[in-house]
Amino acid sequence: MSHRSLKINLKNKNAFKSGLKMLKAFLILFIFLGLGELISSLIKIPLPGNILGMILIFTALKLKLIKLESVKPAADTLLNYLILFFIPFGVGLMSYFDFIKSYWLILLVAAGVSTLITLYVTALIQQKFEKND
Amino acid sequence: MTELYMLPVFGIVITLAAFIAARALRTKLKFVLFNPVLIAISFIILFLVLFDISFDDYNKGGKYLSFFLGPSIVALGVLFFEKYKLIKHNIYPFLLAVCCGGIISVLSVSLLTIFLNAPDVIIKSIISLSVTTPIAIEITKITQGIPALTAGVVIAVGIFGNAFGPAFLKFSGIKSETAMGTALGTAAHGIGTARALEVGHLSGAYGGLAMCVNGILTTLIAPYVVILIVGSA
Repeated sequence: MSHRSLKINLKNKNAFKSGLKMLKAFLILFIFLGLGELISSLIKIPLPGNILGMILIFTALKLKLIKLESVKPAADTLLNYLILFFIPFGVGLMSYFDFIKSYWLILLVAAGVSTLITLYVTALIQQKFEKND
Repeated sequence: MTELYMLPVFGIVITLAAFIAARALRTKLKFVLFNPVLIAISFIILFLVLFDISFDDYNKGGKYLSFFLGPSIVALGVLFFEKYKLIKHNIYPFLLAVCCGGIISVLSVSLLTIFLNAPDVIIKSIISLSVTTPIAIEITKITQGIPALTAGVVIAVGIFGNAFGPAFLKFSGIKSETAMGTALGTAAHGIGTARALEVGHLSGAYGGLAMCVNGILTTLIAPYVVILIVGSA
């Protein structure tokens, strides 16, 4: 009986430990996001804080100021659900129905053609010049 | 009494439900238009219009989900570091591709809007259409366009790239998954990168960095192109 409860206890302890790891990983990610926001507001460059945070966390990992394992759990979790976080932005399109109604053809052609050209040119150059592994 | 749809929980529940339903549909039907983003957004807009609920009421809950976009972009930096060794030997082709793509995007959309005789405000608002929403909005503030229109078009481009990008590139003879990732991140920012991540983690890493590099590049060149075309910004 006591052996069994010890086993459960151990399991709980492990769950608690990995939960703590996850929280720490999120804490570090948010600290870098905060740093990015801070720098973005201090120096007047038109780069949003999240992009600066992305550059900062990459630099910190590269300089070995933080370990990959310490942020990986949170990063993987967020990237798994990246699509979900975009949905509310997409729903925001419904607020522009009237404007889109008047200019839909211009917007459609300009955005559509430009996007296809950009996709093709970028992919072509990368494919042409990249070294294959 | 507060109506239930006025509470944040409404936006969260309907978004999660639509997302799960769209994903389930995707596993059953592998057709390009059954793209999870497109389906989930259509479900929600249809629901809101049918029950006469405003976007602002929906977004009381929705904003809690889109909030995670900020840390997710930081997370892309972690993903990129993880894959950096794999990218390192291709860094110059990668940078060349993103810079050419970014410049082509700004120039092509400018020329198209001039050719289509669009009002100046459209040029000012959509010149940054290929970069991630927060940066695009910053650029529109500089060029004095309508940020709301920017957000709408940028998201539409993202969804378009997400839904049709890989199929279009395959059709055009692009075989490299990494080239696809770079193209999706350059032309269709985070929403395109989300699709690149579905193609593969390495492809997603290329997309994430392409989005970042193109965001910086477009911020630097777009305001000058607008001044060149419109005469003043």
